[in-house]
Amino acid sequence: MSEGGKAAGEPARPGLLDPTELARLASLDLRARTIVEGAFSGMHRNLHPGTSVEFTEHREYAPGDEIRRIDWKAVGRADRYYVKRFEDETEMHTFLVLDASASMGYRRRGVSKFDYAGYLAGALAYLVGQQGDAAGLLLFAENVRSFLPPSTRPGQIREVFRLLEAAQPAGRTDAALALGHLGELTDKRSLIIFMSDLLDCEPDEPGGELRGPLPGRLRQLRARGHDVALFHLLDPDEVELPFDDLIFFEGMEPGDTRTLLAQAPDLAEAFKRESAAFRDRWREACLEASVEYRFARTDERPAEVLRAFLADRQRGVRL
Amino acid sequence: MHFLAPALLFGLLAAFLPWLVHLIGKRRAQPLRFAAMQLLLRSERRISARRRLREILLLVARTGVAAALPLIFARPFAERTTDLPVASLDPQSAVIVLDDSASMGRRAGLSTLFDRARDRARSLLRQFPSDVDLALLLASAGSSPKISELHPERVRVLEALESTVCSARPADYAGALRNASLILSGSTRPKRRIYLFTDLQAAGWESGTGLPAEGAPEVIIDDASGGTPWENRAVLDVGVVPAPEAGAGGIAVDAELADFSAAGVRGLGVSLKVDGVSVAKGFVDLAAGGRGHKRFLHRLTNEGSAHEVEVEIDGDGFRLDDHRLAHVELSRTLRVLIVNGDPRTTRNEDEPFFFAAALRNGLPSAVVTTKLPDDVSPESLYNVTLVALLNLAQPSEALAAALVRFVAAGGGLFISVGDRVDATAWNERMARLLPQPLGLPRTASALPGQHAGEIVDDRPAERLAPIDRSHPVLANFAEHGEGLVSARFFKYMLLEPAPETPERSVILRYESGAPAMVEKQVGKGRVMLLSTTVDREWTDLPIRTGFLPLVREAARRLVGVTSDDEAASLRAGEARTLVFAGDEQRLEVTRPDSSVWIGRREQTNPSRTILYSETDRLGTYHVRSVSPDGTVTARPEQDFVVNLDTRESNPARLDPSQRPDRIAVASPGAKPPKHRVELWHSLAAVMIGLLLCESLLTLRRRRH
Repeated sequence: MSEGGKAAGEPARPGLLDPTELARLASLDLRARTIVEGAFSGMHRNLHPGTSVEFTEHREYAPGDEIRRIDWKAVGRADRYYVKRFEDETEMHTFLVLDASASMGYRRRGVSKFDYAGYLAGALAYLVGQQGDAAGLLLFAENVRSFLPPSTRPGQIREVFRLLEAAQPAGRTDAALALGHLGELTDKRSLIIFMSDLLDCEPDEPGGELRGPLPGRLRQLRARGHDVALFHLLDPDEVELPFDDLIFFEGMEPGDTRTLLAQAPDLAEAFKRESAAFRDRWREACLEASVEYRFARTDERPAEVLRAFLADRQRGVRL
Repeated sequence: MHFLAPALLFGLLAAFLPWLVHLIGKRRAQPLRFAAMQLLLRSERRISARRRLREILLLVARTGVAAALPLIFARPFAERTTDLPVASLDPQSAVIVLDDSASMGRRAGLSTLFDRARDRARSLLRQFPSDVDLALLLASAGSSPKISELHPERVRVLEALESTVCSARPADYAGALRNASLILSGSTRPKRRIYLFTDLQAAGWESGTGLPAEGAPEVIIDDASGGTPWENRAVLDVGVVPAPEAGAGGIAVDAELADFSAAGVRGLGVSLKVDGVSVAKGFVDLAAGGRGHKRFLHRLTNEGSAHEVEVEIDGDGFRLDDHRLAHVELSRTLRVLIVNGDPRTTRNEDEPFFFAAALRNGLPSAVVTTKLPDDVSPESLYNVTLVALLNLAQPSEALAAALVRFVAAGGGLFISVGDRVDATAWNERMARLLPQPLGLPRTASALPGQHAGEIVDDRPAERLAPIDRSHPVLANFAEHGEGLVSARFFKYMLLEPAPETPERSVILRYESGAPAMVEKQVGKGRVMLLSTTVDREWTDLPIRTGFLPLVREAARRLVGVTSDDEAASLRAGEARTLVFAGDEQRLEVTRPDSSVWIGRREQTNPSRTILYSETDRLGTYHVRSVSPDGTVTARPEQDFVVNLDTRESNPARLDPSQRPDRIAVASPGAKPPKHRVELWHSLAAVMIGLLLCESLLTLRRRRH
């Protein structure tokens, strides 16, 4: 969801649970389904809107599929609902790339960024699986921690859920390295959904334009024909610094010795400006690399975020 | 720095409290593992300079406040050496006498002596201990006391001192010290002192010290001049006389100049200004300590108007006496036409003989012309300010008509009677002008008592009734009218009754109650009728001492001039008598600084005069009258100028033997006296400032 998305405090529509409520659900599977149901109430759920006219196979109809794509002749023959699949759809793999560094584990209220990324990733995996597409997962910190290649085999989505639930945020971040690996691992055009807080992914003194290896990696992926979407996830504390007291701040990631003793209210205004500029820089960098940029706070409803993402994709809008 | 209660300085330990709180606060800081350290540190870098400065200022302000409190309670003070009188450090009753006379207005360096004296008086007031009763007087003549009763409130005295300004009045030290002594006589304190801040000019001490012979308070003099010699040059006098040789309206301005320096001066510039415009300039050489004169001839225009004539010399440190003013009215150059109705071959039997002599002696500038009735035509009245008809049988109709126009336009007419007067013809032709119709002549029947030393005349005679000095014509006579009431009247003309009107008034009456001298306002002019002769035929008045001033004042009043040259030029501090004319109820005096003084005629007081005494500024004072209907009329004849008392120009210093104080002689090796300066007020002010800073900083931090 964009920054203009609905806040978590708004009354939830049925199926639209906020992150804290989602955390109470038993499994990621259930959470993913809930998110998808919430996101798709009255909406088409295709992640890959097809453009090719080259028919490849039939697939059994699932709720959310476009009615116009039902093959009525097949229905007449088999008395079951089938939708047509085209070349673009069948060729597309989806990679869910999640930052699992220690900074993603920051949580003061609600859920951590990593949990939130898990909800979104699980929902997307569920959606992809339901459409019979291949979904893969890559968890990284300072290097690749887990990699599940995309597959349509049964149990693939459950494996994705299992890996997500088992992972704990730890270690330093090297997103550029992970995306480099991903580039080497796949030679097929894929949808790469990258979720990270992007903290410490830019040089310490950025100028007006974002430099560093990560934007370069994103451009490379796009150059290879991948469709890349970046989910920039931040905790509300990392947007507003809403503290009242004298606080001794310490870095979260291993080996990070940075500390600061400060009256948080003194810093709040400057921090808000710095955080907004940080997001703006990444938005610009993504726009330049033709990468879809989506910012989300961890107090926003995941279903809303997912819904906005899918709606924009269906309209062909990239933010 | 010293402290009255040094034990309280232990409280200074409180100054560490803000630091302790700061350190404890640091320790109690909540630790937080935070992911966006990079953003946080960038933010901190951006505001750290301002934030740190604010934190430091806040800490300093709080430390300052905590330290200031015990310091204030410890009553800190400093000891300073002083050149002010040490006697001021004792508990006492004290009267401060500040010399505000004109000479104190001279410049010495960047400030005037008066400013210097006031500064020292202020310092003295601050140096006094708290248990001192104080009063404040000024030393110039006629000044009002600033604080005339002993008062323990120093602030009030300080305020009165600050409101004091230097005047142009002369000094009267005797009066000031006498008043100070009287004020102190009511004090029960053993120490009673007068502190006189002056330049020790000799002028002003002519009347002695004014102190009582016994029990006089101690006098301490603070010499604001520091004994520095003073060189001065001054315009001492400016006289203006008619100068016919300069043409119509010609005047001669005589200036008396003086040099009070040891070196004299060559080529001293002297300027003549008329109505503020410089019209002539000359140069004079003055010997050391000598006098000089400068004469200017000038022709005034606008006859009948008043002019301000000023003589100015090149300036020195004392500006007040570098110029001097004179007030000139062209109409004062009396041009009198006497119509001799009963010419005689013997001069001293001729009526104009006495009348003209009185005019010429009383008003030296008067131009008197005598004509016989046949020579008088209506044109004769042209360029004349006063016409005197003496024992004229009857005025021609043409002359009567011309006289009506003449008086209505502002001219003066004096009428005296005699054997030749045809009362019926007068009453017919001069009815509009006569204050009262003429009646029959009356010869006195009783023989009055003989006064010692007077020339005995055995004819029966009457005298004048006691005079009413409230009338301007008689205002300058002695209380009982000496020289006037002694006159004897053997014969006089009775006047027919006339209705009482505001325009008519009786100036003199005979013992019998019959009017002797009556006046009447006609238009802008006046007519005066004397019901007897102005020679010795009917009265011996012309040979009485009162005759000259009577004729002089009558002439002045008739031409609208009520004051003489001396009265129109006052010295600063002198009072001026202003006269209400007719039914005027209010007089306004516009001072040189444009402020306006208003004098009202009191209904309960029949006097037509009012005293104006606020002549403490040099320059021209303009008088205006306000009639009951609100009409404002300029009264240039009452205008006057105020000049400096020439004694103030003399820089001679008071002889030490005449000083009323004991001149302190410092003993060799003695330490200079010290006085204590309390510092807690300053500290309290600093603390309030720090509190204010602390509040602002805290507020700013909360806003952020």
